[in-house]
Amino acid sequence: MHARTLRFLGLGLVLSAGAAALTAQQTPPPPLVTAQEILDGLTPDGSRWLTFGGNYSNQRHSPLTQITPANVNRLVPQWTFQTGTLGNFETTSLFRDNVLYVTGPQNVAWALDARTGRQIWRYRRELPPNLTACCGLVNRGFGVLGDKLFMVTLDAHLLALDKNTGAVAWDVAMQDYKTGYASTIAPVVAKNKVIVGVAGGEFGIRGFIDAYDAQTGKREWRFYTIPGPGEPGHETWAGDSWKIGGSGVWVTGAYDPEQNLVFYGTGNPGPDYHSESREGDNLYSTSLVALDVDTGKLRWHYQFTPHDVHDWDSTEVPVLADMTIAGQPRKVVMFANRNGFYYTLDRTTGKVIAAKPFVTTTWAKEIGRDGRPIELPGHTPDEKGAPTCPDITGGTNFWPPTFDPATRTFFVNAREACMTFYAWKPEYRAGDRFTGGAGQRAQGSEQVYGALRAIDPATGDRKWEFRYLTPSTAGLLTTASGLIFSGDAEGNLLALDSREGKLLWRYQMGAAMHGTSPTTYMLDGRQHLLVPAGTTLTAWALPQ
Amino acid sequence: MRITHSMLTVAMVCMVGGSLFAAQDPPAKNPLEGNSDAIRGGMGLYRARCADCHGMDARGVRAPDITQVWASGRTDAGLFKTIKEGVAGTEMPANPRVQDAEAWQILAYLRTMAAPAPTDPPRGNALNGERIFRANCAGCHRVKGVGGRLGPDLSRIGVARSREAVLLRIRRGTEGFGAGFEPVTLTPPSGPPIQGVKKNEDLFSVQIMDTRERIQGYEKDKMKSVKDDTKSAMPVFGADRLSDGDLDDLLRYLQTLRGFDPAVVP
Repeated sequence: MHARTLRFLGLGLVLSAGAAALTAQQTPPPPLVTAQEILDGLTPDGSRWLTFGGNYSNQRHSPLTQITPANVNRLVPQWTFQTGTLGNFETTSLFRDNVLYVTGPQNVAWALDARTGRQIWRYRRELPPNLTACCGLVNRGFGVLGDKLFMVTLDAHLLALDKNTGAVAWDVAMQDYKTGYASTIAPVVAKNKVIVGVAGGEFGIRGFIDAYDAQTGKREWRFYTIPGPGEPGHETWAGDSWKIGGSGVWVTGAYDPEQNLVFYGTGNPGPDYHSESREGDNLYSTSLVALDVDTGKLRWHYQFTPHDVHDWDSTEVPVLADMTIAGQPRKVVMFANRNGFYYTLDRTTGKVIAAKPFVTTTWAKEIGRDGRPIELPGHTPDEKGAPTCPDITGGTNFWPPTFDPATRTFFVNAREACMTFYAWKPEYRAGDRFTGGAGQRAQGSEQVYGALRAIDPATGDRKWEFRYLTPSTAGLLTTASGLIFSGDAEGNLLALDSREGKLLWRYQMGAAMHGTSPTTYMLDGRQHLLVPAGTTLTAWALPQ
Repeated sequence: MRITHSMLTVAMVCMVGGSLFAAQDPPAKNPLEGNSDAIRGGMGLYRARCADCHGMDARGVRAPDITQVWASGRTDAGLFKTIKEGVAGTEMPANPRVQDAEAWQILAYLRTMAAPAPTDPPRGNALNGERIFRANCAGCHRVKGVGGRLGPDLSRIGVARSREAVLLRIRRGTEGFGAGFEPVTLTPPSGPPIQGVKKNEDLFSVQIMDTRERIQGYEKDKMKSVKDDTKSAMPVFGADRLSDGDLDDLLRYLQTLRGFDPAVVP
């Protein structure tokens, strides 16, 4: 044995002894994140926020009550974290054991000390230079299980990161990004599976939802949102249009453990506006699909906008709840759609319980008894242009709504806007934009506005609204103390009374909460409010 | 110093390489501007590649209004580069498949949406137009660093707006206001109303330039009223105030305004 080897051994012994001494002085590390913890969701102790929507139901309703309508105006900032990257947050941060796990734009991610906002680790993915991801180089958050965090990437990979170091544990390519695929969705981790989808509805992709083994990254199943030859629904696509029909999945679904189902909204069919090449309903685009978690098999589907020609992705956030409607206990999924209608569906069957416009809607009169919209003529885009409400961005969009079970109220940030839609025949080139049309602000569109609307899910009727100066793209959070947190497009963070919509408190953040919701948790006995806005993450609490 | 064969060779390679590189540099000015075939081709390319985000009329849908890019000082060469290379860190993608000629066609078409070329032959006397401008317009509008600030700076109006659009603006006054120039009247609890143009606004506050060019923010709940005015401070110049001949002269002058370089030469 060489002298150098002996020295190594000696050093090893010293290090081991040091490690033992450290261990003896410190508390043991917290147990790994368990499936049960995620299933339990938001608990009254406020100790964690482990999924995109707080709970698998996506209600974004916190049981915490320390911050109330009476004291919300005393909130003070605790710290602000700046990303130092280009692009803005669209993320929901996860919280556990005093640490925040945050994804940002450009596939940068961090673990932050929740007490101080100081970085613990940072992960940055080297992205290919010729990336053409639509629409925004963003990411909507981590999933977590065990010692791993799960994050999708703009070049259509799924990564597992070590929760304690940010090191990549496994990295799997979902599809070739060069053919238009990207991914921005926050994963659902159900049982031992990481469930994700792909974006690219404007680039001629064939959308899908995938499930991967959380430990190994092995793909367990794939559900194509456009059925292949021989599968039911394939006949709803003319010719070969199914191969490039879009129908991406870029917003997080909900999970119903009792039924063993995940519910995902699907994106627009492509080309977006010129639709001669894809005659038919184009299943399962612009739909809600209910999939078996173990197999990925379709249990039911409901298509909100058959043969969509307005780019109205149904990639809004589905929200689950149990409630009594007309004297009957119902298991429902609530869905405010980009097409301007609000829906309450029976989540065991996919049948419509209530459907009503929640914004000005000119393309359809109503939803018929068979669940199909009764469309009005004159709204198919062409070279001359077809004025239609809502506009391309829609009555709402991917920003999360919220549901307060105590008052049985669904809340959504709604947009009142119309547009003239045009269409022309596009040419498909792999990886290129493939939309076949465009929009133009309709005359008088300066009058567009937005509002936070409270909706009764039993009927779709409006309970109250709070009007913004311009449409807001912020997500929402409600708390059991009767608060709703939102933001406006001018950068104000807002707290309102969730029963009446009365404004209680505001703070100018300097950037709008675009697609982001505040979250809340307990830290050292104090309820914290975490707000991602622009390139900053700010934590608030009541004074000590 | 003795010049060796190898040094000469290196120098020649550098020269050849340099000229090759120069040949690949895009021209500073769009070689296809005003070319009707290029504009027609550019329309197709624009609609296929740009309109979905920037809108049919280029006034912006999910991406910014790009009709005013020249007015804001961008150059043909800079815009060519943006089309080809995208904007790093944003949604504006690189377009490696767009050929040079195609990029120029897109810009030729975009230029027509920014300021359509006049179809009539130019008329009017620019020198007299400048005098008319100074007497009637410069109180509110600035040109090349001189003039008022209450209305838009017109130093680039010749590339930003068509002759017809400017004519309508002068003859009919405003039909809609540009961002940053919407007229507003604030009524404080005491004292006279404050009139100005809105520079920014949210639900709770408004930031204005008042008629004395003072910039200031006000909290709405501290005002008796905050009222958006429907009438602009821009007067209507009918034929009684400005003859057709003087209008031609003024328009001719404005069409000569194609930019202002504020760089100071030491």
